[in-house]
Amino acid sequence: MDRGIFSVMILAAGMMFFIGVPGSTSAAQPPDPTEQMRPFVDRIVAILTDPDLQGEEKCIKRREKVMEVASERFDFHEMSKRVLGRTWNTLDKDDQDYFVSLFKRLLEHAYIGKIEDYSEQKVVFRDQRVRGDRAQVDTDIVDQDLVIAVSYIMLLEGDMWKVYDIVVEGVSLVRNYMEQFKEILRKESYASLLKQVEDKVTELEQSIGKPCPVEIRDKADA
Amino acid sequence: MIRRAAFLLVIIFFIPGATVLSQATAVFGRSGGQADFLSDEFYSAEAESELFNDPLEPMNRVMFTFNDRVYIWVMEPVATLYSEVVPWDIRGCINSFFRNLEEPVRFINTLLQGRFSDSVKILERFVINSTLGVYGFADAAGREFGINPVHASMGETLESWGIGDGLYLVIPLYGASTLREITGTVVDSLEMTPYYTWTDDLAVNGAIFAGKKTNDLSLHLGQYEEWKQLLFDPYISFRNAYFQYRRQVRYRPVTDDDFR
Repeated sequence: MDRGIFSVMILAAGMMFFIGVPGSTSAAQPPDPTEQMRPFVDRIVAILTDPDLQGEEKCIKRREKVMEVASERFDFHEMSKRVLGRTWNTLDKDDQDYFVSLFKRLLEHAYIGKIEDYSEQKVVFRDQRVRGDRAQVDTDIVDQDLVIAVSYIMLLEGDMWKVYDIVVEGVSLVRNYMEQFKEILRKESYASLLKQVEDKVTELEQSIGKPCPVEIRDKADA
Repeated sequence: MIRRAAFLLVIIFFIPGATVLSQATAVFGRSGGQADFLSDEFYSAEAESELFNDPLEPMNRVMFTFNDRVYIWVMEPVATLYSEVVPWDIRGCINSFFRNLEEPVRFINTLLQGRFSDSVKILERFVINSTLGVYGFADAAGREFGINPVHASMGETLESWGIGDGLYLVIPLYGASTLREITGTVVDSLEMTPYYTWTDDLAVNGAIFAGKKTNDLSLHLGQYEEWKQLLFDPYISFRNAYFQYRRQVRYRPVTDDDFR
C-alpha cells in the first residue's frame, strides 16, 4: 500500500516534471521561424495596404512605418559584418557601429523599394529550413500574375529569429553588395567606400523628401 | 544564309574559346547546386571576380553602359508607351504565347540533358497550352493543372556536358551572358525557335526580337532604375546577380528518373 502511494507520488512528480519540461524545452528548442516571420510580414503588408496610407502624399509616412517595423526584425550588425568581409575585423568598434548605422539606412531603402510597389500583393509562405541557429524562410510575393521569390536568411538571437540577408529571385542582397564593396576596397580604400555609402544614403533620403516615385505599372486597366 | 553566318560566327568564337573553356570547367562545371545561404561559406567564399572569368571587363563595361543608355533612352520609353496602349493582361498573354512557342526548344534540351521527367512536363504543357490555352495565349497548364514552367536551354545543356562558362560577356542589346551561354542562345533561337525559323529575313527576326523584348519589358517597368539607384557599381552588381540568378533557376532536386 505504502509502496503504491509512493509510486503514485513518483508518477505524479514525474508527470509534473514532464509537464514542466515542454516549457523549458521550448526555450531550448528554436522557435518556428515561419511562425515568427508571418506576423512580421503581415504587419508590413497591413501598412502597405492601409487605406489611410495610400497615395503619393502619404508615401513618406508609409515608408517610415515600414522602416520602423523592419528594423525590429533585421540584424544590421550581422549584415554589415558579412558585407564588409575581412575589412570588418580591421575596424574598431566605433567605426563598425558607424558603418552599421549607414548600412541600415541603405538597406531600408533596398528592402522597401522592393516590396513597396506591390500594393495588392499577397505573401505566400512556401517553405522553411532550419539548421542550428540559422534558418531560411522562403516566401512568394504574389501580385496579379507576377510572382517574386523572396527568402529571408535568419540567425537565432535569444528566442528571436533575426534577418541578416534577403534573397530576391535567388540573388542574395548581402552577397551582391559584398561584391561591389570588395571591388571598391580593392581599387580604392575604406575611406572612399564610406564616402560612397554616405553619398548614396544622402541621395536616397533626399529622394524620399521629394514625392515618391510614381507607380508606372498600370493596375487600373488590368 | 543568316543562320549559316551565325553558326560560322559561333564556331569562330567557340574554338579559340575552347581552351579557356576546358580550363574553366573545373571551376564552373556543374559544381553548384543551389546556393546554401545558411552556410557562412556562401558569404566568405572568394569574390566572384576571382572565380568568374571576366578578362574582357573594360569592353564589357562599355557594352554595359551602351545597353544602359539604350534601355533608358529607347527601350523603356517605347515599352512605357506600349504599356499604355496594350492592357496588362494582353501583355501577359503575349508573353505566354512566345513562351509556349519556345517549349519545343526546352523539350529538346531536357532530352539532351537526360531530364526525362521534365521533358514529359514540357510536352504536357505544350499540348495543354496550345489547345486549351488557345495557341499558348493562356498558361492553362500552370493554372488549371499545376504543371509549372520548366527551365531548359542550350547553355544549360552545354553546362551539363561539362563545358565551362568561358568568359563573361555583355552582349549589345541583349545583356549579360557568357561565351557558353550566348553560344547556346544562338543555337536555341536560330536553329530551333519556331518564330525565328519562319523566315530568314534579318529585319523580320529583329522585329520579332524587339517586339518580344518590349512586351517582356512592359511587364517589369521601373524595376531596373529602382534597383540601379541602390547600387555602387551597377556593372559588378549585375554580373554577380546574373550568376546568382542563373544558379537558382537551374537548380532542381535530382529525381530518380533523371540519370546524371
